[in-house]
Amino acid sequence: MHLSARACAVLLSLWSSSVRAADGTVTLATGPAAYQQPLPGLTGGDFETFREGAGVFRAAWLKGPSIDTPRFTGLGPLFNRRSCVACHIGNGRGEPPAETSDQTRSLLIRLSLPGADATGGPRAHPAYGDQIQTDAVIGAKPEGRVSFHWVETGVTLGDGTAVLLRRPEIVLRDLAHGPLPAEIQMSARISPAVFGLGLLEGVSGETLTKMAREKKADEVRGRVNMVWDVGRKQAVPGRFGLKANQPTLRQQIAAALAGDMGITSSFLLGDECPAAAKDCREAGSTPEIADADFEALVRYVAGLAPPPPRPRDAVAAVGAKTFADIGCAACHRETLEAQGTVLAAYTDLLLHDMGGDLADGRPDFLASGREWRTPPLWGIGLVGTVNDTAAFLHDGRARTLTEAILWHDGEAKPARDRFARLSKETRDALLAFLGTL
Amino acid sequence: MGNPMNRVHALALASALFFAGLPAGTAQAADSEVVVLTSYPEEMTTRYEEAFERAHPGIDLRIVWQQGRDAMATLRAEGRGGIDVYWSPAAFNFPTLADEGVFLPLAVNRAEVPGKIGVQPISDAARRYEAFEVAGYGLAINEKPLADKHIPMPSRWDDLAKPAFDGLVVMPVPSEVGFAPSLYDVILQDKGWSAGWAMLSEMAANASLAQRGGQILGPVIDGKAAAALTIDFMPRNAIAEGQPLTLIYPARTAFLPAYVAIVASAPHPTAAKVFTDYVLSSAGQKLLFRREINRYPIRPDAYDDVDGKTVNPFAVSPGATYAYDLSMGPARGPLISTLFNVAITARQDKLRTLWRAIQAAEAKGVSPATKEARALAGWVPVPDNDAVAAKVIMSFRPAKADAAPTAQMKAWADALDERQARALALVSK
Ligand code: HEC
Ligand code: HEC
Repeated sequence: MHLSARACAVLLSLWSSSVRAADGTVTLATGPAAYQQPLPGLTGGDFETFREGAGVFRAAWLKGPSIDTPRFTGLGPLFNRRSCVACHIGNGRGEPPAETSDQTRSLLIRLSLPGADATGGPRAHPAYGDQIQTDAVIGAKPEGRVSFHWVETGVTLGDGTAVLLRRPEIVLRDLAHGPLPAEIQMSARISPAVFGLGLLEGVSGETLTKMAREKKADEVRGRVNMVWDVGRKQAVPGRFGLKANQPTLRQQIAAALAGDMGITSSFLLGDECPAAAKDCREAGSTPEIADADFEALVRYVAGLAPPPPRPRDAVAAVGAKTFADIGCAACHRETLEAQGTVLAAYTDLLLHDMGGDLADGRPDFLASGREWRTPPLWGIGLVGTVNDTAAFLHDGRARTLTEAILWHDGEAKPARDRFARLSKETRDALLAFLGTL
Repeated sequence: MGNPMNRVHALALASALFFAGLPAGTAQAADSEVVVLTSYPEEMTTRYEEAFERAHPGIDLRIVWQQGRDAMATLRAEGRGGIDVYWSPAAFNFPTLADEGVFLPLAVNRAEVPGKIGVQPISDAARRYEAFEVAGYGLAINEKPLADKHIPMPSRWDDLAKPAFDGLVVMPVPSEVGFAPSLYDVILQDKGWSAGWAMLSEMAANASLAQRGGQILGPVIDGKAAAALTIDFMPRNAIAEGQPLTLIYPARTAFLPAYVAIVASAPHPTAAKVFTDYVLSSAGQKLLFRREINRYPIRPDAYDDVDGKTVNPFAVSPGATYAYDLSMGPARGPLISTLFNVAITARQDKLRTLWRAIQAAEAKGVSPATKEARALAGWVPVPDNDAVAAKVIMSFRPAKADAAPTAQMKAWADALDERQARALALVSK
C-alpha cells in the first residue's frame, strides 16, 4: 500500500514466478513448505545445487567413521544438534522449552565474559567457549543442560484487554566444568527462520549506513553493527544473527557448523575459528564438511525465497496503514534497497535499543546488551502454518504477535504505546495485516 | 529499566535456587540416562525426547544416530558401544543381531500390542525385538500429468509397466536406497519371482532410476514424472507439507515393521525398559501421528480417534495386503539389489528399445513371435528355486551400483544379452 509504483513492479515480478511453473501448484508457496521454496530463476545446475544443499541442510551428521554416510561424519565432539533442520524446523523458527522439565533443543545459549576479544567480538569463557553445547558424542560429556523457568507478568491494553506475558529465566544444570563465574553474560537465542537471506545479503553496506544516518520518527536511531569478517580479516557491517553479529551468509553458516554441530569447514578451520568456537579449534585443521557440500549448503540457504504475501482485504489494508502510522515502519521498513531490487522484508537490518526487559546484557561486537537487529517480518503470517509452536522475539518468549509487540520498549516505546492504545478493531486490523506477510 | 547485567546475575541465581528447591524424588529412577541407537530423523527423535523426558524427568535420553550398517558395527563391537536400546527402521539388522544374542527378550502385553497386522506377523515370535511402527509400500502420484495425458489412476503395480507411462515413472535403485530392496521384495513375493522381474523390467523401460532417496519424489512433485514407487511415509510427509501428491497402495502391498529392542549388556537396564515401555505405550504410539513424523502405530488402540484420512493398517481391506513373509525380504535384499543392477540399472537404455519394440509389435497384433519375445525379454538369470534357496541367497553381499562386476554378474549379463538380442530380432522383422 505504501510501496512506490516501482517497488510494486519489482516485487510482483519476483513473486509471480516464485511458484515453479512445472508443477502448477499455486497453493504450495504458502503451505507448510512455504519457507523451503527456491527463488525464481533458480534453474538447471543452480537448481540442482539448491537441491543438493537442501539435502545437506537436512542431513543428520554423525561422529564417524561411517560405512553408510561417510560424507556426513565429523559431528562434535560437542554439539547442540546434528542437523541444521533440527533447529530451523521446516526452515522456520525453533521452539523454546515449554516446561522447566523440558530441555532447550532449538535454542542456543551464547556465553561470554565482559570485554572483547582481539577481533572486537565477545570474549569466550575459557572452558565453555561462546555457547553451551548441550549434547556430545558418546564418550564426551555435554557442557550442560539448559531449560527455561517462565515468569509470568501481565499488561492491560487501552481498551481494558488483559494480556499475559512471560519471560524466561535460564536454568542451567549438569555443568561439565563447574559453575559459571558471577560476571558471565548469557544470551538465549531461538533459531530464526532462514529464508530470504540471500536477498538481504544484497543490501549494501552503504545502504545500511545511509539508513542508520537518516532522521527517523519518534527519535528512533538504528546502528550498523561492525563485525569481524574472517575471510577479509577486517571489520565489516554485520547483518546476520539476532544482533547482526555475522557479516556474510557464508561465515554465518560456517559458524553454525562449527558452533552448533562441531563441524569444521575449509572456511573455518581449527586455527581460524572465530571468537571462541572452542570446539571448532579443537577439531583441528582438516575440514569435516566437503567443500562442495559447504558450497551447496550456502547456495541453498541463499537461494531460499521469502513466501509471497497473501492478498490484503479491506481490514488488512487498514492494518497496513496503521503499521506505518503508529511508527512500526521506522524499523520494520516496508522497502529495502538491494542491488537494484526493492525488498518488502520489513526490516532495516539495524540495531535498536529495545529496552531493559528484552536486554540480554551481552554485547556482541558493537551491539550493546540492549540492542537487537530488527527482524524481517516477511513470512511471519505463515508461522502457524510452518511450525507447531509460534515463538517470537529473540528468546521465543512471545506466544503471539500481540505479546511480541507489547515487549517492545526503548526506541520502540512510542510505537508500542500507540499500539497498546489502539481500539480492538484497529489492533485486529494490524494483526490481520501481519497475517498476510 | 535497571542495569541489564544485574538482571542476568539475578537470573542465574534464581535458577540455582529453583533447582535446589526441586522436591527430592523427581530423579528416583535408578538410571539417570538411557542411550538409544537410532536412524530415525531428528525431527522425530526430538518429539520423543521431549515427550519421554516429560514423562520421566529423571532420565536423560541420549541419542546415537547411525544408519543400518554403522549400527550393525556398533552393536557387534566390544561393549556394544554403550548402547541400551536399538530403535530403528533398519529392520534387517534385528533378526541377525537377535540370533547373535545381542538382545534381551521384552515383556509385552499381546492384548495391547498384538505383534501382527491381519494375517501378517510383524514381531519376533521369541519377543527378542518388537515392532514399533509399520510402513507400507505404495505409489506417490502427481495427478496433473496423469490428467494432462488422460491416463487413469493406476491401481496395480503392473499399470506402471504399460506404454502409457513412458517416461512417467520413478523407480528407486535398491542398492542405493535403503528401503527399496524390501519394496521390490513385496512386489516379487506377491507376483512370484519370475513374473515379478519381467514386470519390473518392462516398468524400467518407462522409468527414471533414483540413486538417492532425495531423487524419488522430486520429479513427481515437479510434474516431470507421474508416479514413484516408494515407502509411504515419504509422500505422507510431503503431502503434509502441502506438496501436490497423492499416495495410493496398489494391489497388493505389505506393511513392514521397524523395531525396538533392549541390548542384553545395556549399561542402564532399568531406563532401557522404561524407554521401550514408553515407545510401545498408547501415548508413545500416538506421537507417531504428529505431522512431522507421520508413521503408522502398531497398537490398534492408537487409531481410536484418528480422522478419516488416516489409513488404519489394522482395517485395510483384506485384498490389499497378503501374508508377506518378513524373513525373506531382508535375507534376499542383496540378491535383489545385485540382480536389479545387472538386469535393470546397467541396461536401462537397451530395455527401453527392447520393450518399445515389443509393445509396438504387439500393437499390430499379438503373435507367437511377440509372445516369445516377451518371454525372452522378461527372463531373469536367477530361477524361482534359487530365489528361495538359503544357500544361494546368503552368498550375496550388499554391493553398490558402481561396484566392479563379479564373474557371476558378467555371466548374468551375457545371458541377458543373448536372450534380449533374440527377443529384439523376433519383433524387428
Ligand atoms: C542448535 C540450534 C541450531 C542449529 C543446529 C543451527 N542453527 Fe542456525 N541459528 C540458530 C540460532 C539460535 C541463530 C541465531 C544466532 C545468533 O543470533 O547468533 C541461527 C542463525 C542462523 C542464520 C542467520 C539467520 C538470520 O536471520 O540472520 C542462518 C543463515 C543459519 N542459522 C543457518 C544454519 C545452518 C545452515 C545450519 C546447519 C549448518 C544451522 N543454522 C544450524 C540455531 C541453530
Ligand atoms: C525501534 C525499532 C522498532 C520499532 C519501532 C518496532 N519494532 Fe518490532 N522489533 C524490533 C526489534 C529490534 C525486534 C526484535 C526484538 C527481540 O527479538 O528481542 C522486533 C520484533 C518484532 C516482532 C517479532 C518478530 C519475530 O520474528 O519474532 C514483531 C511481530 C514486531 N517486532 C512487530 C512490530 C510492530 C507491529 C511494531 C509497531 C507497533 C514494531 N514492531 C515496532 C524493532 C522495532
